Amino acid sequence: MADSVATMLAIAVMALTTLATRLLGPAIMSRFTVTPALEGFLNALCSSVIVAIVATVVAQGGWREAAAVAVAAGVMIVTRSAVWAMLAGAACAALWRAALG
Amino acid sequence: MMVRNAQDPQAQQTSPAVVLDGYGVRAGFLRLAPLAVFAVPFGLAFGAAAVEHGLLPLETLVMSATVFAGAAQFAVLDLWNHPLPLLSIALTALAVNARHLLLGAALSPWVNALPWPLRLLALPLLSDANFADSYRSLRDGGSNLGVLVGGGLALWLAWTAGTALGAYAGSGLGDLSRFGIDLVMACFFAAVAAGDLKTPPSLLPAAVAAAMAVLALDAVPAGWNIVLAALAGASVGGLTGRLRLGR
Repeated sequence: MADSVATMLAIAVMALTTLATRLLGPAIMSRFTVTPALEGFLNALCSSVIVAIVATVVAQGGWREAAAVAVAAGVMIVTRSAVWAMLAGAACAALWRAALG
Repeated sequence: MMVRNAQDPQAQQTSPAVVLDGYGVRAGFLRLAPLAVFAVPFGLAFGAAAVEHGLLPLETLVMSATVFAGAAQFAVLDLWNHPLPLLSIALTALAVNARHLLLGAALSPWVNALPWPLRLLALPLLSDANFADSYRSLRDGGSNLGVLVGGGLALWLAWTAGTALGAYAGSGLGDLSRFGIDLVMACFFAAVAAGDLKTPPSLLPAAVAAAMAVLALDAVPAGWNIVLAALAGASVGGLTGRLRLGR
């Protein structure tokens, strides 16, 4: 029971944090100018989180994870479509599981 | 890159007649509905993964409906061990969703032309796909922020419906790794990263972040390696941003 309260609290924290990131962009722009350093920081923040998550998945997984992620990145570079990249990577992971276990 | 767009002169020339009404909502919804279909399998993967990490189906559904941010939701699952680390969860959600600040900043010439209550109505469903669609239409002379809300509504419906499928029926499908669904999130992130990393200046922060994430993995509590990696990569990005523009 205590766990479910904690879970709902955590979900509420996430929801409010995320809502704040959505609401604050225009509010910040009406008060501050974005310096090149801040722009560089925010741009790199997004891609850094994403790259860090992928690196963690690969480090905790193995060759199956590494292969799937590499296929997804490669297909993205060729097709510029995140949807095709995602499908190709997942297909690679599925084939790996079927062929190599 | 989004912020720079907001500063281009075309975007600054905003007509004062920015509105947010039902016509815009309808138009945005219909335009993004075909694209939103692709959010269903992504939501399914999340629903199944969340239940596997110990969330109840209903909790999973509530999370998708109220947070509506796939990347952040996937990212916190690894932290989901009781007692829940609320601070790590909040920081991870903040770091992963920081890009919303950039999207909002790019839309600010139009959003800030609305009266206050409508500004709050325009933004809660802001995400990448409806941003891209709305930004294009506004930049090309549109003045209805309803398209952002309508597009967001289409994406929200697909995301919550996909989550419900995955959360309630995911276990009935057996081991989802057979279909590679366990790696849908990682593959999507890898694709987004590959799409982002076009220019050499963006490679250095990414390399620093990846190295930090792996090095810190066993040294810090779960999830903090991501926060550390994000701060390290972003700091490098801030430095190179300053150098690149000579300020």
